[in-house]
Amino acid sequence: MKTLKSILVAILATMTFTSCTYNKLVEQEETVEQKWADVQTQYQRRADLIPNLVNTVKGYAAHESKTLEAVVEARSKATQITLNADELTPEKLAEYQAAQGEVSQALGRLLAITENYPDLKANEQFSELQAQLEGTENRIAESRRIYNEAVQTYNVSVRRFPNNIWAMIFGFEKKSPFAAEAGAEKAPTVEF
Amino acid sequence: MTIIKGKMTSMRKIVFYIFILIATISMAATYTPDNLPIPYLQDKTQYVSNPDGILSQTAVDSLNLWLGQMETAHGVQTVLAVVEHVEGGDAYDFCMALGRKYKIGSKEQNTGLIILLATGDRSYYILTGRGLEGTLPDAICKRIENRQMLPALREGDWDEAMLNAVRAITKYVDGDDSLVGSSDFEHIGNHVSHFVFSLFLVFGILIIMLAILYDRRKKSYCPSCHQYKMKRISRRTTTNHLLGKRAHHDTYRCTHCHFTKERHWDEDMHHNGGAAAAGGILGSSFFHGGGGFSGGHFGGHFGGGSFGGGGAGGRF
Repeated sequence: MKTLKSILVAILATMTFTSCTYNKLVEQEETVEQKWADVQTQYQRRADLIPNLVNTVKGYAAHESKTLEAVVEARSKATQITLNADELTPEKLAEYQAAQGEVSQALGRLLAITENYPDLKANEQFSELQAQLEGTENRIAESRRIYNEAVQTYNVSVRRFPNNIWAMIFGFEKKSPFAAEAGAEKAPTVEF
Repeated sequence: MTIIKGKMTSMRKIVFYIFILIATISMAATYTPDNLPIPYLQDKTQYVSNPDGILSQTAVDSLNLWLGQMETAHGVQTVLAVVEHVEGGDAYDFCMALGRKYKIGSKEQNTGLIILLATGDRSYYILTGRGLEGTLPDAICKRIENRQMLPALREGDWDEAMLNAVRAITKYVDGDDSLVGSSDFEHIGNHVSHFVFSLFLVFGILIIMLAILYDRRKKSYCPSCHQYKMKRISRRTTTNHLLGKRAHHDTYRCTHCHFTKERHWDEDMHHNGGAAAAGGILGSSFFHGGGGFSGGHFGGHFGGGSFGGGGAGGRF
């Protein structure tokens, strides 16, 4: 009788303990997914701005078509890659990051050449578009930072003992943060 | 040789002193989010942080007034800082760090606003909270800067630049009906006064109950056997309508020694019970206290807003 009782207590304790851990992991995974969605929203926002920007620049610098085409091409490539929150493996994230990095670089080159067109720089519409683009780059950086924080919290939970046992049983896997990129992901700096 | 050496040391000394001088000057005028004074925390009517005295007092007063109205009417909580230099020289990074540190803006509406002008760095930034990005999109921030601030900034008229900027921002904020005036602080003031009021009420009731109990005990005292065992066994009441009085004739008997005593008392029918009057006085005095409380200049608090990187800035 006594052993039966203690076994029952042990089972109950384990279950409570497990459900606690499980709920916490679910919660943290949910946060990561939400933050990932925010990151994608901001990248999408940038992609939406590009056609307008390209058209404005075209009006002033039509013969820079190579640079303009590079931006459009990079954009279309990047928008093809979408990642669901449940497939955030290091390889896929790196791929995503590389595609978006291409867009950043192409945009950087485009903004660099606009320096040669005083009329374009004086255009208020262009100035405001540029501000929107900068704001979006800032938002991307901020949402990535927040995403990385959420991933870190989640990964620590998944890997810490004894959570790691339950994580293994219930199939919680480590998620990948954004890797810091040398220059590629920096917001294009524009001198006035 | 010694002369040269002496010259060297004196030169070195001068260089050293110049270095120290430059270091102190630049240290005094370079701000980090941690050492930038936020007067709002001490006095909720002060939104402007002007530690280097770059803006005139007149401009600061006007800005505080306008920003105060913006918070009362639309719940937009602003920190406006005008300094010479910010650490790192990047206005955006500074504003974000400031926003993260103080969590400017209410948690519900998330309408925090940070306006920074670093005259020595020749840079400025308008950073909008997440909830303000719709009212003040990046393009609009840029337009305000281009049209309202830049001409004055190029002339070095800092007062005019900031006044223009806030005037323009106010117009956009006023035009957005979805923004609700939070007056967060007053809410809290009300909560406090409600709390104190109910505390007083509970105390008042407690005192009255204690008084009734004390009265009962006093009445139950038996002068014969000195025990509290007297109980009322009968009451006869006569009413005098002319005088508006009731006369009560109560008979008490001690359950211990059977000592009997008559008690006689008059009740004034024109007045309510004294207890209710006492409660009213307590309540009203406390309400006055509440009024005085919210009238004073108390420190403001930031409500937990967050910044996602919206807004625009530039250099001049």
